[in-house]
Amino acid sequence: MLPDFIKALRASNVAVSTAESIDANKVLTTIGIENKLLLKYSLSMALAKGIDDKKRFDECFDVFFNQNTQPHLITNAVPLLSLEFTDESRNTTDTLGSSEGETLLSILKTEDKVALQQLLAAAAQDVQLQNIRIFTQRGVYMRRILEKIGIDSVDEHLYQRSSDDQEKSNFTTLKNLKASLIEDVANIVEKSLLLYTANSANNLREEILQKTALARIEVRDFKVMKQLVTKLAKKLTSIHSRRRRRAKRGHLDVRQTIRKNIQYDGVMFDTVWKRIQIDRPKVIALCDVSGSVSQVARFLLLFLYSVSEIIPKVRSFAFSNYLGEVTGLFESSSAEVALAETIRLWGSGSTDYGGALSELERLVGDEIDHRTTVLILGDARSNYGDSGHLALRRIHNRAKRVIWLNPEPRSFWNTGDSEMKKLGACCDKVDPCRTLNHLERIISDIARTAT
Amino acid sequence: MSQISKLSSEEVIRTTRKKLEKNGYIATGQIATALYLAQALVKPILIEGPPGVGKTELAIATSKLLDKPLIRLQCYEGLDESKALYEWKYGKQLLYTQVLKEKLSDMLDGARDLTQAVDKLHAFDDIFFSEAFVEPRPLLKALWEKNGAVLLIDEIDKSDQEFEAFLLEILQDYQISIPEIGTVRAKTPPVVFLTSNNTREIGDALKRRCLHLYIPFPEHKLEQKIIETQIPDLPQALSKQVVNFVQSLRKLDLKKVPSISETLDWARALTLLNATDLQPQLVRSTLNLLLKFQDDIEHTNPEVTALVRNAIKDS
Repeated sequence: MLPDFIKALRASNVAVSTAESIDANKVLTTIGIENKLLLKYSLSMALAKGIDDKKRFDECFDVFFNQNTQPHLITNAVPLLSLEFTDESRNTTDTLGSSEGETLLSILKTEDKVALQQLLAAAAQDVQLQNIRIFTQRGVYMRRILEKIGIDSVDEHLYQRSSDDQEKSNFTTLKNLKASLIEDVANIVEKSLLLYTANSANNLREEILQKTALARIEVRDFKVMKQLVTKLAKKLTSIHSRRRRRAKRGHLDVRQTIRKNIQYDGVMFDTVWKRIQIDRPKVIALCDVSGSVSQVARFLLLFLYSVSEIIPKVRSFAFSNYLGEVTGLFESSSAEVALAETIRLWGSGSTDYGGALSELERLVGDEIDHRTTVLILGDARSNYGDSGHLALRRIHNRAKRVIWLNPEPRSFWNTGDSEMKKLGACCDKVDPCRTLNHLERIISDIARTAT
Repeated sequence: MSQISKLSSEEVIRTTRKKLEKNGYIATGQIATALYLAQALVKPILIEGPPGVGKTELAIATSKLLDKPLIRLQCYEGLDESKALYEWKYGKQLLYTQVLKEKLSDMLDGARDLTQAVDKLHAFDDIFFSEAFVEPRPLLKALWEKNGAVLLIDEIDKSDQEFEAFLLEILQDYQISIPEIGTVRAKTPPVVFLTSNNTREIGDALKRRCLHLYIPFPEHKLEQKIIETQIPDLPQALSKQVVNFVQSLRKLDLKKVPSISETLDWARALTLLNATDLQPQLVRSTLNLLLKFQDDIEHTNPEVTALVRNAIKDS
């Protein structure tokens, strides 16, 4: 039972390691399975190690353990006492004996819920219900389980009785019972499907979304995208938050050494080495928010502000024909609201790269220093106006690096009014930025070179 | 341990809960279960939850319950082995060498050449790097404690990643290697609590070695019970109102929502002021005990009257 449960947990995105499943086994032996609440608490401590995981664990636990406990035959069972199967009355309630059909009949007759439950569970295990993957398999698995528990003999029984007038009422009762039995089996299969495949569809969707061009993402997927960005941001944060200080080997920190060795009467026992304090990067993001680029800008900004733990200082600017700072907007309100507001304020008009870049230089030129990464998102289509490459050159000279992100595919660069050649020459790096995967790589890159 | 296995686990958990209550700690079923499992499986517990819900208190209450000493290690950035595990008593070592200097000629008496002298010195072994010269820090202290101890590693999320990795050996095997002495193994494994406020994600390796307990804000009933046990002087009507008020406050959009410790502080203040029931004016003047940000106080102030009215109505 436990391996199945762990499989279900993994299917619903709770990461369970082998060591943890061994722990869970130990928990099971100490706690026992009589008290379900206790079991839930204990297993949740051994298996789910986070707030989100706990929530998913609770859901999974409820579905999994309810499935095994309550066949719903119990509730709408019709009194069965009048039924008389004298010919086949046997008291064995052994699960899955050689004569499954007869067992099933006797179980139905005696209304033995526990036995029925065991029978169903054993049958589900026999047909390996936990391997169910897609919804079209429902019918197959249902049929297999029903065969396993010996529905055939019930059918046969029904067939014989139907010709007999006397047993008419018994016949209908048995028929009803059979119907509800089938319903039970359908429920079990349905729940397994829910349990073991709940997330595979979601995972697939997320995988596809990561590869889809950002400009083509539909409004209905925004919610998923947001979760996805948060997830990726969390991943990046945990990767990059580690290397904060690095010992500079070979450089003695004399002051610190003397201070530390006061406790040993000034005898130099412990040496302290100089360390490099690693600065968090400063990022200045400049986003073109006109037309199709605005979609990409939305996710870039969303991403940047999601990783505030590793990139705490982000100043963002938006422009089309005029440039304005939107840092405050994104810090104070949610990404959706901030972006809508940004586009309303700065999004109308045709793009003017020359104006925007020199305005950026005027506004924050003095702040750009050797720690600043300047991130520019735009298609570099200047409408045959000033490309602003001179201003960008000056910015580049001051900044640590300038990265240009272009949402157009490479083959479109330098066609028509695209000034990628001129502008790209003033950048340290030029990257296409079309999908979430690209974004992740870029942000990770910024965080990495910061250390 | 032998006692535990005789009784059924359910009973043990129930009695644990009662005993904790006697010590002034109102535990939920989850908390008591965690405590039981930690002892039965000999595993550390990692406790997470918002600040002020009684994570540290649990360790203190447990040490009282088990009648074992509480050894506390407060984590902070830059915490390293010498502060957490052990240190050599350099001063003492120096002093002893000075004292022994004069005796040195006696000891080396009869040595004809340097080789013999060195051999003689070798016979004394590494006295200066023996247990007598070790200054145990919390972790080593907990391992040395013969009858076991309660080890509280507080706010593990504040420590560095390296320190977290360093803890792994202790948490898994309850042993630690000191190069000069060898491996120190705990005779009786201590009960270990780690607490975290979630300021950073704890590594998976550490999580895997621990039982994970999440303590959320208490529910209505539980909070009232906690207040009543902690502050017996508080009139019952008032305690109900206090809990109602705080619970409704938690639903507001605040920078930092009040936790149990703040509720308790406030309730204590109200008893000191001899209040018998909540008045909007009284609440306003004592709001700074509950809310720790000026923004929050300003945000809540206009709603105090309505909140108080509801709190009184519901009680």
